[in-house]
Amino acid sequence: MSVAETSNRHIGKHRADTPTPNPSPQGGGEQIAAPFALIASDRGVRRLYAVDEAAAALGLFVGQKATDAMALVPELVIDEADPEGDHAALIALVHWCVRFSPAVAADAPDGLFLDITGVDHLWGGEAALLDDLLDRLARQGIPARGAVAGSPGAAWALARYGEDRAVAAPGAEAELLAPLPVTALRLEPQTAAQLIRLGLARIGQLAGTPRDQIARRFGAAVLTRLDQALVRAEEALMFSRPATPWFARLAFAEPISAPEDLARASRDIAERLCARLLAEGQGAGRFELAFHRLDGHAQRLAIGLSLPGRDAGPIARLFAPMLERVDPGFGIEVVTLAAERVEPLAERQIGLESIGETAREDGIAPLVDRLANRLGEDRVWRAEAFPSHIPERAVVRRAALTARAGPAWEKGRPRPVRLLGRPEPIEATAPIPDDPPVQFRWRGQVRRVRRSEGPERLAEEWWRRPPGETAPSHVRDYYRVEDDTGARYWLFRAGLYGGPDPPRWWLHGLG
Amino acid sequence: MPSPPLRQARLASLRAEISALEEGARPAAEVIAFGDARIDGRLPGGGLALGHWHEFAGEGLELETGAAGAAFIARLALPLAGRGELVWVLRRDDLHAPGLAGLGFPADRLIQVCARDDDEALAVLEDALRTPGVAAAFGEVEAVDLTAGRRLQLACEQGTGAGFVLRRRPFGGRSRTEAGSAAATRWTIGPAPSEPAAGEPGLGPPRWRVSLERCRGGRTGAWILEASEQDDAAHPFRLVADLADRHLAPPPLRLAG
Repeated sequence: MSVAETSNRHIGKHRADTPTPNPSPQGGGEQIAAPFALIASDRGVRRLYAVDEAAAALGLFVGQKATDAMALVPELVIDEADPEGDHAALIALVHWCVRFSPAVAADAPDGLFLDITGVDHLWGGEAALLDDLLDRLARQGIPARGAVAGSPGAAWALARYGEDRAVAAPGAEAELLAPLPVTALRLEPQTAAQLIRLGLARIGQLAGTPRDQIARRFGAAVLTRLDQALVRAEEALMFSRPATPWFARLAFAEPISAPEDLARASRDIAERLCARLLAEGQGAGRFELAFHRLDGHAQRLAIGLSLPGRDAGPIARLFAPMLERVDPGFGIEVVTLAAERVEPLAERQIGLESIGETAREDGIAPLVDRLANRLGEDRVWRAEAFPSHIPERAVVRRAALTARAGPAWEKGRPRPVRLLGRPEPIEATAPIPDDPPVQFRWRGQVRRVRRSEGPERLAEEWWRRPPGETAPSHVRDYYRVEDDTGARYWLFRAGLYGGPDPPRWWLHGLG
Repeated sequence: MPSPPLRQARLASLRAEISALEEGARPAAEVIAFGDARIDGRLPGGGLALGHWHEFAGEGLELETGAAGAAFIARLALPLAGRGELVWVLRRDDLHAPGLAGLGFPADRLIQVCARDDDEALAVLEDALRTPGVAAAFGEVEAVDLTAGRRLQLACEQGTGAGFVLRRRPFGGRSRTEAGSAAATRWTIGPAPSEPAAGEPGLGPPRWRVSLERCRGGRTGAWILEASEQDDAAHPFRLVADLADRHLAPPPLRLAG
């Protein structure tokens, strides 16, 4: 189990004390030289929330009182901190980073983790990938540091405290981390301070201390963090989308924007991913195609398949009508395709025993896919019985090609062919209580009842309501009636005679 | 004047020639037989032809609710249910699966599609009819003009099933102007009062007043049909009464010898 995890290569990326990745009005032009800080109120005291390099060079630090800072550096430019805006920008960066790897996790407030296992070869190595990532960020005006290591903890430590753009060779993490301060272990500030006071300032020193003593003095959390950093323990990251090895990427030397180029790119990338799926005997139920524009925006299209598939042609055809929604802007430089719901799919032998009859994969499944992707998944369904006696709840909708899982239809309780979405009130004449009406008026027309059946008494499902909310007026007595033309109606009387409210009549179904 | 048997034979050969011209070079299509000569005899080929689409309409409020018509076509398509997939294109998703199941229809296999408007419903129906493996496709649309009907027919010829179009104005309002139709047969379906077995209370098996208004290569007629009691997928209806226009179909002369 740990084998799979240790082979993971993580980039921990640290945006070095950037005030905000949002372009702020003070951020451009000649003012770049002026020291800049963000302030936020902390228990009634206005303190520095973030400082830029110029301000840090003048001796200002995070947590300093704003008044002190202003006294020391009168030319300091300040602005209100916007933590929510920062977080939104971080999430935007997460989506942007999907061009490098499908598995990206936000590490609030200012970091990102990318699981680059198996994708670095697309750049020609981990160092090249990291360089590309950081250079692109720098071009967008986002100062950042990064590192590649075998675990998130090691990458985090190297990115923040190690040499910038460090790439730890597999197994070399302990050596690289040894000279770093213990604060690089993502410890609670008090714990880190205590360790430093006791002389355990470096990770190497801490790693050399007997484990039971560390656990006794500082708690097991320190050991966990140490193990995570030294690639000895696993760590779960909250990826914005599940990590998938089923990922393909096409990069263009020259950005593309013509519709026919987009169509060709989507076909090429589908062929590339489907060839891998075929080679490994897998099929996928969902594909997400993303067009990454030059300006950093990514436009996503997704299609679902009713049966897992790996035929590039039909998949590209399902994407084709959506391509016109893609706005290429100044051009698209990268196209990625990720497959989800990947499951083993047996090889099919075509055209031997099944001559004359059509396999579902060739006939109905592409039809359902076309319809579900064109009209919407909620507009194509299959009805299935649900164990409830309430007519509205007795039917559930399932995806069109799923196998029947629920109970069989209940026999012996005739039901109408059409069920109205909401029952319509009718005026009924029923001379004897608990008898069907002799006539009723629906939509302004009087219908004389010739034959009838019932009542079928349906009480509400009291277990689905809070106690005390059940009432006799929720009891329904259903009648099947036929008028003198033979038209059939499904009526019910809500409520009982003799109650506080007179019963009311409703029409619920036809046929 | 040729003798009657000779005349019959020549008429039959002429009819075959005409139908061959109409059908093009395709072989005679398969049919769903009603199982009663009084109906099958009026339909070309002795039943409702597969590889074609058929149009069903109601009158009055039935044109809005489509209840009796839906029950009728579900029952009518029963012989096809075992052959492949079933698709029902709706514009108003009020089809109640337990009701269809009560008619013997395999409602949990039925793929229901809800379209936003008439054009979309027709496009979906056409797509479904063209799909191999689809045995029957049902569509609820307001009107099928000549072009749309021709497209449906082409789709039927490419596919493997039959089309059942139920004319319905699902949200009321005024009906569109009627145009000519390319359907193989056109029927008017209405409910008919049921008769439970003697001595039994309640409602009998559903009955329909069925009128064959137009039939290419066949003759019109009108009947009252009842859902047959036994779960017999091959013959879903029982003929109760023949309302056919007597002057169009004179009873055969009986010669006394």
